Amino acid sequence: MLSCKELVALSSDLLDARLSLRQRVVVRLHLAMCYRCRRFIRQMRLSQGVLRQLPQGQSAELDALAARLAELRRQQP
Amino acid sequence: MTDTDLLKRLLAGEQKAFRELVATYQGAMRAVAYAIVGSRNADEVVQDAWLAVVRSLDGFQGRASLKTWLLTITANTAKTRLKHNRREVLLDDLPAPHGSIGDERFSENGHWLLAPHAWHHDSPDALLTEDELRECLEKTLASLPEQQGSVLHLRERAGLELEEICNLLQVSASNVRVLLHRARLKVYATLEHFEETGQC
Repeated sequence: MLSCKELVALSSDLLDARLSLRQRVVVRLHLAMCYRCRRFIRQMRLSQGVLRQLPQGQSAELDALAARLAELRRQQP
Repeated sequence: MTDTDLLKRLLAGEQKAFRELVATYQGAMRAVAYAIVGSRNADEVVQDAWLAVVRSLDGFQGRASLKTWLLTITANTAKTRLKHNRREVLLDDLPAPHGSIGDERFSENGHWLLAPHAWHHDSPDALLTEDELRECLEKTLASLPEQQGSVLHLRERAGLELEEICNLLQVSASNVRVLLHRARLKVYATLEHFEETGQC
């Protein structure tokens, strides 16, 4: 029987669909019975979503870089 | 926009196309460079990689995606720079501002001692409306050891498969998984802290 601590240790592999068949079975069984770990996994997925949507900054710097690269490209024979 | 469309515009030297390319891939390129040469030389490597990209645009065959091509050029530029003193993968960890989900959260038999509470926000959009949380998250990301931060960026933001990350950074699959897991738990701990206290 998997403990909550062990489930947390497997949580990244669960997110990445990297669990072995045996691990998948024990993880599913544990999650079916443990609302705290279900909540933890739900929140881990939410954190993943937050990271994916986190805006990237430095737009002025990127503008300058893009201008320079386009210029270089146009200068190429 | 597909790679083919973008490539046509890049070949024509269209500035807007370069803007799009830079905005989309600069972060991931930086993550690759950070992981291989470290923060001190990463910016220079990224610059050199961009120059190499512009020089070799004509040779891009479209066999790989534009993303894979750009990141491979970046990794190669970084490795050349490194020459023979390849850095070891540092599995030593650094503390993050809000910690992680460590042993102290569990009892001796492995059950939750301090279980996660329900969060007020239930979607990424809702969480990201909080300016303070965004800043707080940036701090946590900046606190991650270079390779942890890079692997997290490449997986979650650039959407790379684990195998691609292993190949680019020449790190074993098990080490990539360790780095990714540690980084994710720190991000989780930051969000959890914010949800519980309303502050960073």
